[in-house]
Amino acid sequence: MIVASRILQFQDVELYYDRVYALRGVTIEVTEGETVALIGANGAGKSSILRAITGLSKIDQGSIYFKGERIDGLEPASIVAMGIAMVPEGRRVFPFMSVKDNLMMGAFTRKGKAEIRRTLDGVLERFPRLKERYRQSAGTLSGGEQQMLVIGRALMTRPRLLLLDEPSLGIAPKLVQDIARSIVRINRDDGVSVLLVEQNSRMALSISHRAFAITTGSVVISGESRDLLNDSRIKAAYLGGSV
Amino acid sequence: MEQVVANGVYLGSQYAMIALGLTLIFALMNVLNFAHGQMYVIGGFVTYTFYGQFEVPFLLALLMSCATLAILGALIEKFLFGPVIRRSAREESTMLLAAGIAFLLDAVILLVFGEKQRGVPKIVDGVFNWDFRIIMPYDRMLICGLAILSIGAFIAFMQFSRTGRALRALAQDRTAAQLMGVNVNRYSMIGFALGAMLAGLVGGLLVTITGVNLGMGGPTSIKAFMMVMIGGAGVISGAIAGGFILGMLEAVGLAVLSQYGDITYLVIFIALMIFLAIRPHGLMGKPWG
Ligand SMILES: Nc1ncnc2c1ncn2[C@@H]1O[C@H](COP(=O)(O)OP(=O)(O)OP(=O)(O)O)[C@@H](O)[C@H]1O
Ligand SMILES: [Mg+2]
Repeated sequence: MIVASRILQFQDVELYYDRVYALRGVTIEVTEGETVALIGANGAGKSSILRAITGLSKIDQGSIYFKGERIDGLEPASIVAMGIAMVPEGRRVFPFMSVKDNLMMGAFTRKGKAEIRRTLDGVLERFPRLKERYRQSAGTLSGGEQQMLVIGRALMTRPRLLLLDEPSLGIAPKLVQDIARSIVRINRDDGVSVLLVEQNSRMALSISHRAFAITTGSVVISGESRDLLNDSRIKAAYLGGSV
Repeated sequence: MEQVVANGVYLGSQYAMIALGLTLIFALMNVLNFAHGQMYVIGGFVTYTFYGQFEVPFLLALLMSCATLAILGALIEKFLFGPVIRRSAREESTMLLAAGIAFLLDAVILLVFGEKQRGVPKIVDGVFNWDFRIIMPYDRMLICGLAILSIGAFIAFMQFSRTGRALRALAQDRTAAQLMGVNVNRYSMIGFALGAMLAGLVGGLLVTITGVNLGMGGPTSIKAFMMVMIGGAGVISGAIAGGFILGMLEAVGLAVLSQYGDITYLVIFIALMIFLAIRPHGLMGKPWG
């Protein structure tokens, strides 16, 4: 069933790499305006879900709808142009381009200089550090700054749905807070729906509306994030030592 | 001394363009284009055909060389490298394919243009003579100027155009570029066409000086690989540095070593091996920037 208020419907998706299953029948959905978290251990299949949505990995079964339109099978370039932005795992800046050129790459599929300029100003306002480093090449930024840059670059596409893959990984605890706060603002102030993959489950659950826990390619638990924070199974499996 | 430097700059300007094309293709697709020298030869023959035989203006003939190679490059990417890269997980496949294309193009050149050495009328007459310190025919100076101009235009294109930015993004991080909406298939094709076009352009320029023949392909590819190894693969500055360094070495070698016989390239090869043992990634070994 296709529900109009659902910005993303990811239905019964199966995906395998060379016969090794990464996803075995995963169903998740994101409602317009929501922040949804995906949590789970290493190798659970979280990144594969994001890669499937943007078309970087082709799915083998199931279907994916964005704003009611079927998108599985499309090329990544077309999917991105429809309004889905993804910040991949590991802060993939263009290292030998300036901060400015990195951000401008985000506007690659867009037209209208004035509009692009406005988005750029918004991004620089949100991440003032990027403004300070505007002409510097991206490879010389710190990890936290690079994370801001890739989020800013994704915002330059002016997405309706933002996919974030482990934005807190390998970043100083102080900056993790900053990044969490920006994610909340992007969702609340800009009305961008967010699908957030995190190992830092506590952070993810505290800034999301709903969450799905993934284990070896399947959704095992799902529900309201605030309930899951107190769920004994979640506590045992995902909130152990993490801050 | 001045003469050697002038010769080095002249050679280097041509070499740098060859290396730029090769390194662009490498940076974008991780393909070592063994057929680069053959593309250069085809560029030479096309200019020979239009300028030498049909007597169209030289610049127009050069444009024909560029267009021919751009189209050829695009077709080779679309129908040969593209599908092989998509289907094959092994890197050797593209190397074998590249070697195969080199042989194929050699055969095509033989069929279409024949095996004879061809030359064209001089584009300008006269010799520049600065007090017998630098003596250089005007046509060489013109060709050198055109080459340097083309290199400048290429750099500006890569730095400031939307397409250039997309190509750099693709070379630096394929996945991230895709996520910016860069269509990998289309831009791989554009990049390959551009690289081939540079080879064709140098071929068209140099046919006015050295002429062209079927046998030039292989040695040109080898020189191109050397330049890229000197400068570092996949970097604009590396290709340019590699081109000018090789040009300079060759000029010096011809001036100094020729009395001992034809050993310039032997010495350059040995020097290169020692250099690579010390700096395996070349002078600026890093991805495209
Ligand atoms: N390109 C690939 N080729 C083969 N197997 C892969 C590939 N990418 C992922 N896998 C496998 O698919 C499974 C799911 O991987 P995925 O990256 O989606 O997990 P993840 O939940 O994002 O893990 P992590 O927390 O480590 O990022 C893993 O078992 C992984 O080894
Ligand atoms: Mg992952």
